Amino acid sequence: QFVPSEPPPPRRPVQYAEQNESNEEKQFRRVFQQLAGDDMEVSPAELMNILNRIITKHGDLKTDGFSIESCRSMVAVMDSDSTGKLGFHEFKHLWDNIKKWQASTAAPCQLSYTSALHSYCTMGVYKTCDTDCSGYIGANELPNAFRAAGFPLNDQLFNMIIRRYSDENGNLDFDNYIGCLVRLDAMCRAFQTLDKDGNGTIKVNVQEWLQLTMYS
Amino acid sequence: MTSTADRLARQQDREQGIGTNENTVKFSQQDYETLREQCLKSGRLFEDNCFPAERTSLGYNDLGPYSSKTRDVVWKRPKELCSNPKFIDNGATRMDICQGALGDCWLLAAIASLTLDQQILARVVPQDQSFTEDYAGIFHFRFWQFGEWVDVVIDDRLPTRDGKLLFVHSAEGSEFWSALLEKAYAKLYGTYEALSGGNTIEGFEDFTGGIAEVYTLDKAPPKLFKIMQKALSLGSLLGCSIDITSAYETEAVTALKLVKGHAYSVTGAEEVNFQGKPVQLVRIRNPWGQVEWTGPWSDESSEWNRVSKEEKSKLNHTAEDGEFWMSYSDFIKHFSKLEICNLTPDTLISDDVGHWHNHQYEGIWRVGSTAGGCRNFSATFPSNPQYVVRLEDVDDNPLDGKDGCTFLIGLMQKDGRRQKRLDRNLETIGFAIYEVPDQYKGQSNVRLGPDVLLRQKAVAMSSSFINTREVCDRFKLPPGEYVIVPSTFQPHKNASFLLRVFSEKQAAASPLEEQIANRMKQKEASEKDVDPQFKTFFKQIAGNDMEVSVFELVEMLNKVVAQRSDIKTDGFSLETGRLIVSLLDVSSLRKKLSSHSLCFKTLL
Repeated sequence: QFVPSEPPPPRRPVQYAEQNESNEEKQFRRVFQQLAGDDMEVSPAELMNILNRIITKHGDLKTDGFSIESCRSMVAVMDSDSTGKLGFHEFKHLWDNIKKWQASTAAPCQLSYTSALHSYCTMGVYKTCDTDCSGYIGANELPNAFRAAGFPLNDQLFNMIIRRYSDENGNLDFDNYIGCLVRLDAMCRAFQTLDKDGNGTIKVNVQEWLQLTMYS
Repeated sequence: MTSTADRLARQQDREQGIGTNENTVKFSQQDYETLREQCLKSGRLFEDNCFPAERTSLGYNDLGPYSSKTRDVVWKRPKELCSNPKFIDNGATRMDICQGALGDCWLLAAIASLTLDQQILARVVPQDQSFTEDYAGIFHFRFWQFGEWVDVVIDDRLPTRDGKLLFVHSAEGSEFWSALLEKAYAKLYGTYEALSGGNTIEGFEDFTGGIAEVYTLDKAPPKLFKIMQKALSLGSLLGCSIDITSAYETEAVTALKLVKGHAYSVTGAEEVNFQGKPVQLVRIRNPWGQVEWTGPWSDESSEWNRVSKEEKSKLNHTAEDGEFWMSYSDFIKHFSKLEICNLTPDTLISDDVGHWHNHQYEGIWRVGSTAGGCRNFSATFPSNPQYVVRLEDVDDNPLDGKDGCTFLIGLMQKDGRRQKRLDRNLETIGFAIYEVPDQYKGQSNVRLGPDVLLRQKAVAMSSSFINTREVCDRFKLPPGEYVIVPSTFQPHKNASFLLRVFSEKQAAASPLEEQIANRMKQKEASEKDVDPQFKTFFKQIAGNDMEVSVFELVEMLNKVVAQRSDIKTDGFSLETGRLIVSLLDVSSLRKKLSSHSLCFKTLL
């Protein structure tokens, strides 16, 4: 039922990663270096900064901005090496997903951070699924938006998501929409990682359960 | 969360036996059999796009794309280099390894030592590969990498210039296992250049999964010759080298034709009768396959005329093959360092005594949680990971006549060589060993706190904190329970490590983690526990529907904390509010007063 996105590629020697990068990736790496600073890792605060600078350029997006808490959560679920920050590959995975979850077609409006990122961010799923042009994803629009983003869940889950992420009127604004999908994607991937034989069940003890859930 | 899931999945793999030499982890998820099958079916020779035959696979700096050293390099398959290439010809021998244009003598010395034991060699170099039967241009090798065996697949395109192999090659030029092994090892670390510069022990460990000890020869223990003999008989791998004091001395040749700053392997240690007196001799090999020692006991020296013909013919082999004998006394005088790689029971197939028992643990130091630094930093030191080892039986036949349990501890940091090109230096690492106080003995689920770690003196320490891949030391302690605390020297350094404990007798070891009580105490609350004042307050914020929404909750919480000067907070965010509600939300859609009030009581 779940079709989570491809996990980030296995960690390969940096040398290998660099030599096999497309020009687009190389360009992205340069931008990443600017964003991440000397340590080459993006902290939750840096992530919040980046995301909020991007969305301020898009007046038609309804959002009250990414909060530090939701950025912390995104970093925690995506952090693959326990540094508490996102490295290049982790960040790129996040970025590609954001791009995908809103990337595409008709909408002329483009999300861009710098010219290098320009091509990455075209509004898509989010905008196209916002059928009534409210700037929000409404409760009734949500199932289609999630299906388009690659998560064909059932009504029970959609209801829960609305309850958890929506505002008083049952609408998801942009930051909540992204925060929710990042989490959903990471949760599905973590499950797949642990479900080796693919039988749809995993077994964890209390220690493991807490390690998984508290850092998310 | 991703990291936890990965770690748990790895743990499960281990439990299922993945990562042993028989059941290897596939490097880059490439499976040799599957790929070879595909190639044979399609009739094409394997081309590995994971380690392409391009300049970028050679290096990044000295061997980088713009270096003169990589000019005119052509990648060729062995069949394009000679008419009848062999994978292994007449058995893999130490003569198959002649160094090329790469500073990886340390690796070649390790490979040379490896050929002395065919069983160990066969674990690294699967023997059923050839250029004739089902040849598809694909080969594979197995290396030990930080606690697990990894299977590395390569294609057989090798870098050449003017029709000759650029790097390692066999003396005859028609045998290719060593060149292919080097390529697979280079793939493991990203480039050929990543292999330049290293210690022979690194190679030893990556070929065997063993644990290495280093002896400084100007402070050689009195029994070192015996230790060397015993080690050779146990199939341990030995390497030696002469230290250099400056880069100018690299590969400088002394008057007696020893090469400084160069890795040799020790291939034999024998006693001969010299004019009626026993003399201890050591056989050493230069991986160049030439440049041999010219002092006493060298190939054609006069000393050999004064030993019995029988012994001479058994030991002395006169050829410019890089291998030579010298006396043990000259050996410790001229060389500075001896490295011995002790093997694990699974490597050694014979049933000789003296196998080591081993345990290994992976761990991480992370800023903000476990990167505690050494004992000098008392505030953070206790936060380092801890491992307990229980020593029960004393050694048989102790070398020094005193009872005790001998064990080796190796602390290895990961990923140093891979990050070399990023100019990332190795961390300075070491460890301390503490005796477990009586009150904690026998418990596996206590961590030693500052009360023990800061007040008690460590019973033993690593000989130094040093920036090498591995710090390894031999200890002898009375039976008992000990805690090992591995750390970086400075606190707040991110790194990953592998801790290994090798003991002569069976010992129990485990990581120390406090157990989590999986039954947290639940406070029961009912309507009557709720005081009336609270009810009014709740009504105020919840409004008529008697339900508190996320927005109301956040507003209320922030009002409460604003009145408290003793609580440090920048206020509750909406996101935090959502988390609280989603976790406490018991009924399907909204919640009842009683459960809600309980929650607030817990919160405030």
